[in-house]
Amino acid sequence: MAAIRFNGVSKVYADGTCAVEALDLEIGEGEFMVFVGPSGCGKTTALRMVAGLEQISGGEILIGERAVNDVSPKDRDIAMVFQNYALYPHMTVAQNLAFGLKLRSLGRAEIDRRVRDAAAALDLQDHLERKPKALSGGQRQRVALGRAIVREPAAFLMDEPLSNLDAALRVQTRAEILGLQKRLGTTTIYVTHDQVEAMTMGDRIAVMRRGVLQQLGTPEELYTRPANTFVATFIGSPAMNVLPAAALGIGPDSLLAGFRPEHVALGPAADGHFSFEATVEVVEYLGDERIAHLRLGERPLVAKLAVEQQLERGSTATFSVAPRSTIFFDARTGAASGAPV
Amino acid sequence: MTSLRIRRGGRAPVPEATQGLVLHSDWQRPSVRWGLGGAQLLLLVLLVVGGLGPILWLAKSAITPTQDTLIKPIAVFPHGVDLSNLSNAWTQVDVGRYLLNTIEIAAGSWLSQIIVSTTGAYALSVLRPKWGSLIMGALLTTLFVPSVVLLVPLYIEVVHPPLIGGSYVNSYWAIWLPAGASAFNVVLMKRFFDNLPREIFEAARIDGAGPLRLFISVVLPMSKPILGVVSIFAVLASWKDFLWPLLVLTDASKQPLSVRLPTIQGQTDLGVFLAAMLIACLVPIVGFLVFQRSFLRGSGLGGALKG
Repeated sequence: MAAIRFNGVSKVYADGTCAVEALDLEIGEGEFMVFVGPSGCGKTTALRMVAGLEQISGGEILIGERAVNDVSPKDRDIAMVFQNYALYPHMTVAQNLAFGLKLRSLGRAEIDRRVRDAAAALDLQDHLERKPKALSGGQRQRVALGRAIVREPAAFLMDEPLSNLDAALRVQTRAEILGLQKRLGTTTIYVTHDQVEAMTMGDRIAVMRRGVLQQLGTPEELYTRPANTFVATFIGSPAMNVLPAAALGIGPDSLLAGFRPEHVALGPAADGHFSFEATVEVVEYLGDERIAHLRLGERPLVAKLAVEQQLERGSTATFSVAPRSTIFFDARTGAASGAPV
Repeated sequence: MTSLRIRRGGRAPVPEATQGLVLHSDWQRPSVRWGLGGAQLLLLVLLVVGGLGPILWLAKSAITPTQDTLIKPIAVFPHGVDLSNLSNAWTQVDVGRYLLNTIEIAAGSWLSQIIVSTTGAYALSVLRPKWGSLIMGALLTTLFVPSVVLLVPLYIEVVHPPLIGGSYVNSYWAIWLPAGASAFNVVLMKRFFDNLPREIFEAARIDGAGPLRLFISVVLPMSKPILGVVSIFAVLASWKDFLWPLLVLTDASKQPLSVRLPTIQGQTDLGVFLAAMLIACLVPIVGFLVFQRSFLRGSGLGGALKG
């Protein structure tokens, strides 16, 4: 395993599009780092620059102590798992796993051992002689993972490896990847647009937007102390409510107030909480809770309520929020700000 | 989404997408069943008679006494079968030698076309050199030049090859080398390579494959269908080529069947000549039937990617 460092890394395409802008980031040895953000935010480009599949326009990437800007992908000691599996269709599972090892001129016994170990770790022993077309989606993704782990690389690079799996399989494979990474202790960069995946898997998360790193932190830091309104609304589902502080009567026009849907309580203010009246637009019943879509004047907001709390659609109700659960942002820049004076 | 239709008799459901343009419900209407069914049958008969008829007639005539073929060309064995035509074709016309010549010429032409088209297409599609689009444009331009126009300059090149010296006349290289210079094959192959998933190439590069290993171990095995198509085109074109071998192979002992058979037509018994023609036709037909299934089925990408 090895640390990976981005030193002011940029990627500018020939047409002038800046995919990644001056990215500074360090991923520790054995760390599980998640790059998350909406489509086009530069997360995959950043990953592909580490893999050597994209030229670096500026800055420097280090794997361990070695700058790899001009090192070919095969010599970077990394392994990559692709979104679409990218298995060799004409090879069996065993041949897919062994291909990279043969190219590195490992001995036959060593190749057999590694293939057997990887197959055992991923429950693929019974499928070693099958070709990819005879496997299910989950099995194909496990083969793609196996192809990465047999190499015993310094780092794993994973580009949305779960996005093609169905919901149930995604949850299961998520746990398998996490378990595998913790067991092997290999430095991992994992790219996803799914903030739930990011929150559940990452030791730390790098949130990106339009090529710029918005915030780097643990899942808890991102959730409880977002650096700006983008991170605040991107992380968490349903998203954080962000409204003008003045509309809630808790601050000046220059500030926005943000609070999570689960911090909205039904009923008038108590113990210093602030309150507001909102119209109920839609209530979603989720079995263990209700998601109420409200409207405060022209502004939408969401409340996560206990399942016992029933609201009529179109009715008006009073809601309250504790000030300590509220985060203030600068209305002009969107950056997190201190509490109003 | 593909809709499913349950067939009668409890058999497995058949995806609607495999049913063609006329739906099962339409086939229940008598006007469609008789009208379209009749048209299909008529078309099938016409195709069989037009396509298979001459070959069947050739096969029949090859084992019919010459007198019968001359007097009653359509009658089926009016005075029995004469298998001696086939043995005479082998011994008198020496079909075996010319067949070997033809196979040698076709194999060399095939190899030269496969090597040039795969490596050329790989360079243009996967390696993508700086001036690739310009080269591709030049290749496309050559497709518009009629081959007859190239006959004389090509002949001069073969008689006096530049830089090398000597002459390729009466050498199979005179056929093999020009055969490789097929822009059509390169364009065809490049279009196929363009559609191969780049993620697999990237995975191979990360696995440690260089350009040559990527070509041999990944690109070529995934390209069996197009290799099959180009192979069939190459072998058939070489097998039936007449004009170019006639020009560059003046030594009769080196000529292929396509050149030799018309030359000996005047001094050969018709039955023996037809038997020799049958032997000349059978090889490519059998070859096509044997290899077409393995080459043309599927794209070879099963399970490579999430589709």
